[in-house]
Parts: sequence; structure tokens; C-alpha cells
Amino acid sequence: MKRRTFLTGAFTGTAALALGVSLYTPEVNDNPDDTHRLLFSVLIPIFMDGALPEVANYRDAFLNRTIIAINQTISVLPEDQKQELTQLLTMLESRFGLLILTSSITPLVLRSPEQLNEMLEHWRHHFLEMMQTAYIGLRELIISSYYACPEHWGRLHYAKPTFLDA
Amino acid sequence: MAANIIDPITTGLAAGWQHIDANQLTENQHFEADVVIVGTGAGGGTAAEILAQAGLSVIMVEGGPLKSSSDFNMEERTAYPDLYQQAAAMKTSDKGIGIFQGRSVGGSTTVNWTTSIRTPDNALAFWEKEKSVTGLSTESLQPWFEKMEARLNISEWQFQPNLNNAALKEGCEKLGWEYTVIKRNVKGCWNTGYCGMGCPVNAKQSMLVTTIPSALEQGATLISNAKVIDLKHKGDKVEGLSAKAQSGSSSAATLTFSAKHYILSAGAIHTPTILMRAKTPDPHKLLGKTFLHPTLLSGSLFDKQIDGHSGAPQSIYSDEFVWRDGAAGEMGYKLEVPPIHPILIASKTIGYGRSHAELMTHFNNLQVMIALVRDGYSDQSPGGQVRLTDKGFALDYPLEQPFWDTARRAFATMAELQFAAGAKKVLPINDGIGMQLNWAQAKETIATMDIGLLKTIVASAHVMGGCAMGDDKTLSMINSEGQSHYFENLSVMDGSMFPTSLGANPQLSIYGIVARNATLLAERLTAKT
Repeated sequence: MKRRTFLTGAFTGTAALALGVSLYTPEVNDNPDDTHRLLFSVLIPIFMDGALPEVANYRDAFLNRTIIAINQTISVLPEDQKQELTQLLTMLESRFGLLILTSSITPLVLRSPEQLNEMLEHWRHHFLEMMQTAYIGLRELIISSYYACPEHWGRLHYAKPTFLDA
Repeated sequence: MAANIIDPITTGLAAGWQHIDANQLTENQHFEADVVIVGTGAGGGTAAEILAQAGLSVIMVEGGPLKSSSDFNMEERTAYPDLYQQAAAMKTSDKGIGIFQGRSVGGSTTVNWTTSIRTPDNALAFWEKEKSVTGLSTESLQPWFEKMEARLNISEWQFQPNLNNAALKEGCEKLGWEYTVIKRNVKGCWNTGYCGMGCPVNAKQSMLVTTIPSALEQGATLISNAKVIDLKHKGDKVEGLSAKAQSGSSSAATLTFSAKHYILSAGAIHTPTILMRAKTPDPHKLLGKTFLHPTLLSGSLFDKQIDGHSGAPQSIYSDEFVWRDGAAGEMGYKLEVPPIHPILIASKTIGYGRSHAELMTHFNNLQVMIALVRDGYSDQSPGGQVRLTDKGFALDYPLEQPFWDTARRAFATMAELQFAAGAKKVLPINDGIGMQLNWAQAKETIATMDIGLLKTIVASAHVMGGCAMGDDKTLSMINSEGQSHYFENLSVMDGSMFPTSLGANPQLSIYGIVARNATLLAERLTAKT
């Protein structure tokens, strides 16, 4: 059923131009929702290669922050986009789904960075728009969530004005 | 929030303004007024003030929340879910165009970039000739534009443009192209560059801090978080509206409304959606014909800091290529720049991993140009179509070959402009294309690059049309005064009234035309009473 829905176009990759909504509020959770945690801990280093710090401790902190932001991004998306995205993520976590999307049942966590890059490039330049939207959906979700966090702006030399804090 | 910045909304509420947050209602409630206005953006806000001033009782019903300067923390992660439709993630059904549209009290005026341009002569002339619009000429609208420009303090930006805008100006000067200093609706602007996240110092003269407070002062009622879900009608009369609180809980209250007159100002997607869902007459299948100014982006790197996040986001535009071949001729495009903030730029550029990280490292040296394509003027650019779905709506907007041909020309124009302004590298935001090192290289690359759906980033911040005006019923849903052709007590006053796109940023066109139409309506309604 999932495959059918996916292939008939219900999935369109989310637009997830977004935000980690309330990271500065008391809702901040240092034990982030583990939904899709393993999947994102594999994908974030690929999408954010070159932006994530090399030092292990910092890298882990950035990774955790981004996973929190991603879950918060997903939580504020409209219901249909949320469902589309969840469908994609669920497929990437199942062997059957992986087989459809990547022609291999090897879990993503067991694939090398080169193989993961190859997978994303395959989707990115695929002749099926559906596969391109899978790439775009993941890309926008992860990159937007990463740069939603002020902690990640150091390399940009960007900071919001401080007059509100006066 | 800094202690010295007064939030006019919290102050007004404390002083007794009538505001109801529908999410706080514990039971269903019925409301009555002379006029119920659905939506509080440029159209709804303008109409509310005029009708309240005329002595009519007014209720404003807004689907989004009431947020004000105390909530505006200058962060995209807060602004997008709070202030934009679908958390700024709205896209056309094929995901080809990302759409930014406001959703809080004040609508898109709360988050727009303050650019205020009168309706172009070309658009008005085209509407008169081809779309049966009457009474809306440059001359007849002049007093209405003057009125709203005075009301919203719209005037030419007197400060130096920031370097992002200055590049547009300098490029045009070098190439001998037209450019114009933008008029902005601001009063006491701090020149910070965060208009798109809600003005934190209440300098932007949005509906949130001008007409809506004015209407509330005169006794109007504002209901936020109430999304209109039904419009009851019989014969040529609208009999009532129903709205649902947006809390998402099963106990969310239903609100019902009765009025002598109803105004839809819910924006160019939601106004037609309300009418479609209510199965109102549409014999010529005109509802939901939508125009977007589909917009291309071109990045460039300078060897100096541009700091495109700082300063008035838009202060210069160029109309060199908008109307070159006449209104009905080849699609044209307007040149502007966007503000440069992390999520906006990170998501609207291309690629990932090291190449993307490298681009973001140059964030402060990045200059970005945008080309807004004028749509709706010929068969080449028929626009899109809003349709209902089980869960809400979808917007189909197929981007066809004439658009892609125009996009290719626009990419070339932007690259030429950026190099002329001193850019060291130019990056057309089109997948598979790297940094271009000079104009000759860019020209060749752009001429042959693989361009198309999902490969090319296309965005829109201007949703127009969907309930077009005109006197010919085969071309329009409302007359040129905003009155429905099918219901004697229904008007439409928002961006959905435009029969085509404008070829200009829409807010001042909405202010001016709605000021005229709401004044005429107030005269009719008060004459009756």
C-alpha cells in the first residue's frame, strides 16, 4: 500500500522550509524525540559535510541539535506534508522501502558515506520527478533545520541584532 | 523585547479592544455585525478601517494567530511557523514553486518587505482592454493611492540602499538600465533588515499596527485563530459564515456569523477556496485562476562584505525587462533583491555537503538578485488553478516552456547585472551549475544549461487572482467595485481580485483599490441604513 501510494504520487517530498520552532523556549529537550534518530544521524553528516564541526564532541552536539530541530520542523508542517515526509522516512528505515528507493536492502547505517552520496546523487538527477522530490524533501528538511539553530551560525558570521536584549 | 519598545497591540488590548482568540472559546458562539470581513491582510485591514469609520459595526475574522512586536524575535525558526501559511513550506502541487504567504493578523503585510508600488499603467490598461475592468485608470486611482500612501507613510526610502540593493543599482547604472528607488511603508524604520520576520520595532506600517488598531479603536471586533470553513447562501444572498477554532482539539469551538454584508479578504488562495467549498455559482469556471510572479534567483560573490541581512531588504528595483514587448507580448520580469537570512538562503540555494557548506561560508559576501516573472497576460502564461482536496486545497501551476525560456533570459540578465556591479563569481540557482567566473562564461553556461521543474529553484511571495474583477461575467467573478456578480451582499477585497498578475509587488495596489471599493461600499451600506 505504501509503495502504491508513493508511486502514484501522493508522496511529493516535503517543502520543509523550516525552523526548529521553539528551541529557545523551556520546551527545549536535551533528550530529543528518538523518532527517526538513527536515520538522521546517518543522513545529517552527508548533507552537512563541511559544515558540521570535525571535533567529535562538538560534532555530536551539532548533530543532536539538528535532530531536535528536524523533529520540531516536522511537527509544524501541515498534516499532508507531514504524512508525505513520514512516509519517506519510514521507507528509508525499512528494507522493502530501501529496495524500492535504492535498489538495495542494506540499511543506510551500514552504508559508507560514498555510497550514501551516490544514493543522493542518483535521486537528485533521476528521471522520475518522484525521486527528485525525495532528494529535495530531505535536503530542505535537513539543511533548513540545521541553519534554524543560532548555534550553527558561527561559520556564517551572522547574528541577529542585539537591541531586543537591551 | 526591549523595554523601550511599546507594543501597540498589547497596549490596545489592555485598554479594552475587542479581541477574541477562538482557541480560547469553550463553547460554540454566534456573532452579528453590519459587516463581517474574512481576513486581515492588505484588503481586510484597509476595508475594516474604512467601514468602521463610516459608523458600521465590523467583525474581522482571521484564520491565523494574533502576534505582535513582543513576539517578533527576528528569528526565522519562530517567524515561519507563527506568521506564514504552512510554516513557509507551502508549494504548488508539483513542488515546482515555493510560496511565501502571511497567515497571522495583518496577513502578508505583517511579513512583507515593505515595497510599495502603484499598479502599473500597463496592467490597468490591459485589464480595461482585455478583462472588462472599468473605472480603474491611473488617473481615477490616483487619489486612492495618495490617500493610502499618506495613511501608511509610504514614501521613497531616503537612506543609502544596503549593499545587496546597491549592487542592483550599480549594475543598472553601468549597463544603462532603468532603476527606481523604492517607496516603503515605514515610519521611524531602524533599518535592521528583519521585515520578513515581523517588524520588531513597529516601524513597518502594516495592517497590524495601522488600520486594524484604528478599526478596533472604533469598536470593531477582531477574532483570531478562526478559519472560515463554510459560507451559507440562498438565491442571491449570503446567509452566514461558519468558522472553526484552530486549536486542533476535538473540542475546538465553531463560530457562526450573520451580517448585512460579507467581505472575503482571505487572500488569493483562501478566498476562492471558501467560495469553491461553499459551491457558489461559477458558471464560467473562473474561480481559483491564480498568478504568482514565479521568481528566479541568482547568487553572486563579491570581494567585500555585502551583509544582505542588514538594512532595508528592498530599496531598489528595475523595470527594464518587465514590459519590453508590451503587456501581451513576451513574458517580462522585474528585478529586485531579497533579504539574506540563513534558512531562506540555505534552502533556496542548491546542492548539499561540502559545496553547500563552502557557499554558506561566504554568507556575508553573498549578493542575491531575483527576477519576478509577470504572468497571466497571454496564453504563454495562463497561471495556475486552485482546487479543493480532501484536506484543504492544492494549487496546480504547471511551468511550461515559455516560462523556462523567460527564466533562461532572466538568469542571463541577472548574471550580466551582477558582473557589471562588480561580482567576482555568479551562481545561477539552478541545479548542476557551478560558480561562473565572468560574464562570457555565464552567458554560455546559461544558454545551454539544463533548466526545468525541480532543477531550477522557483519561488513566489505574490499570490494574485482567483476571483477576478471585471464587468463581463464570462471573464470575472466580481465587478470592478469588488461586488460579487452572484450575491448582492458579498464583496471580495484582496489580491484575488486581480485579473492578471501586476508586474509589481502587490500591497499598494490592494490598498488603493480596496480603499476605493470599501468607500463605495460604505456609502451604499450607510445609505441603506
